Amino acid sequence: MLNRTHMLPFQVQFKAGAPVSEQVVYAVKKAIITGGLQSGDKFPSVRILSQELRINPNTAHKVVAALVNEGLLAVNPGIGTIVANARPSTRQQRSELLGNEVERLVVEAKNLQLEFDDVVQAIKQHWNRLS
Amino acid sequence: MNNVIETQGLTCRFGKTAAVDNLTLAVPEGSIYAFLGSNGAGKTTTIKMLMNILRPTSGKAGILGVDSTRISPRELAQIGYVSENQRLPEWMTVAQFIAYCRPMYPTWDDAFCKRLLAQFDLPLDRKLKSLSRGMKVKASLLTSLAYRPRLLVLDEPFTGLDPLVRDEFIRGMLELSGEGNWTVFISSHDIDEVERLADWVGIINSGSLKLAESASDLQTRFRRIECVVAESTRLPAAPPPSWLIPEIAGHTLRLVENNYQQGASEAQILSLFPGASQITVTPLSLRDIFVALARTFRITG
Repeated sequence: MLNRTHMLPFQVQFKAGAPVSEQVVYAVKKAIITGGLQSGDKFPSVRILSQELRINPNTAHKVVAALVNEGLLAVNPGIGTIVANARPSTRQQRSELLGNEVERLVVEAKNLQLEFDDVVQAIKQHWNRLS
Repeated sequence: MNNVIETQGLTCRFGKTAAVDNLTLAVPEGSIYAFLGSNGAGKTTTIKMLMNILRPTSGKAGILGVDSTRISPRELAQIGYVSENQRLPEWMTVAQFIAYCRPMYPTWDDAFCKRLLAQFDLPLDRKLKSLSRGMKVKASLLTSLAYRPRLLVLDEPFTGLDPLVRDEFIRGMLELSGEGNWTVFISSHDIDEVERLADWVGIINSGSLKLAESASDLQTRFRRIECVVAESTRLPAAPPPSWLIPEIAGHTLRLVENNYQQGASEAQILSLFPGASQITVTPLSLRDIFVALARTFRITG
């Protein structure tokens, strides 16, 4: 196939209902933290983001603007958009990335009528398994 | 914001049946507007009136600020139109077809046309009649994009296309996304294809517009609510009007809330079903919203 496609340096698994731009911003931040995107890496243009993710160009624009605003991307005339900051500067910012997941975990745990300690225990198990 | 398409009381009758009934619609400039409806809901008839292929029985439609019945080559040169049942000059080769379209559009961009040709993998020397349906649609899209139209009108573009061609089609269409005030009006019954693309959604049923709003408002106000209720609980005789298709099965109450307010919606459930527990609230995909509405239309007409 001659079809030109561009691999994106991050992955988005879209979930119904949550704002698309937030989901993409989240995926980019995650890639920056895990090293998939590093300082100086080129960031895809609005058109490519929109084409590859099949999202509205206005949404893609919003994503880039939000990331530039947070200092994670920088627009260099002539070069395009590049990754400015290898990782969010503080631990606080990094842990904020977990916000949605933690909320979901707590909701699920409460639905299952688990105690706080049960949840901590479950997290510990997984943490140790993966480290 | 300007509206690129505007209709007022637009109606089209075929004999006694109104295919489109008193339709009032506004498509803001710069949007990708998904015009959704089941088969036979009136989507194509609406688009044919917009494009001046059909005359309205009453009401009117404006497109790029001009009455649709007075549309001139000047406006047509700024509109790209791809339709499921469009007739192409089948005897022409792809190259001849491009050469035939080119002089009609002062803004035709040869370099862009060439890029699209490569991207769509279209054989220049083949006759249109020998092309697959997917290839024909791509040829049609190519000749509608190459002059960088201000407005792209797509009538059920995905029908009969395999996933790869759908993907190419969307990529091709988004090639124009760099243009400033570029607007797309796309009719479809295939909601998954347009879900993340559309920032405006209009839903037509039996010829009339049932809903028209920004995709983000739509996503904010619809929620599926589920909870556990006591044995043999019944639905109230008159459930709140914002509840769509409330149902109870076993101990589970399930409904779609179309005006979700965090806290208040849950409180409303508790006041109607005092024993309710485990209330879970989940957002809906555009498809689920459409299905919930379509089931409601079937019940209420």
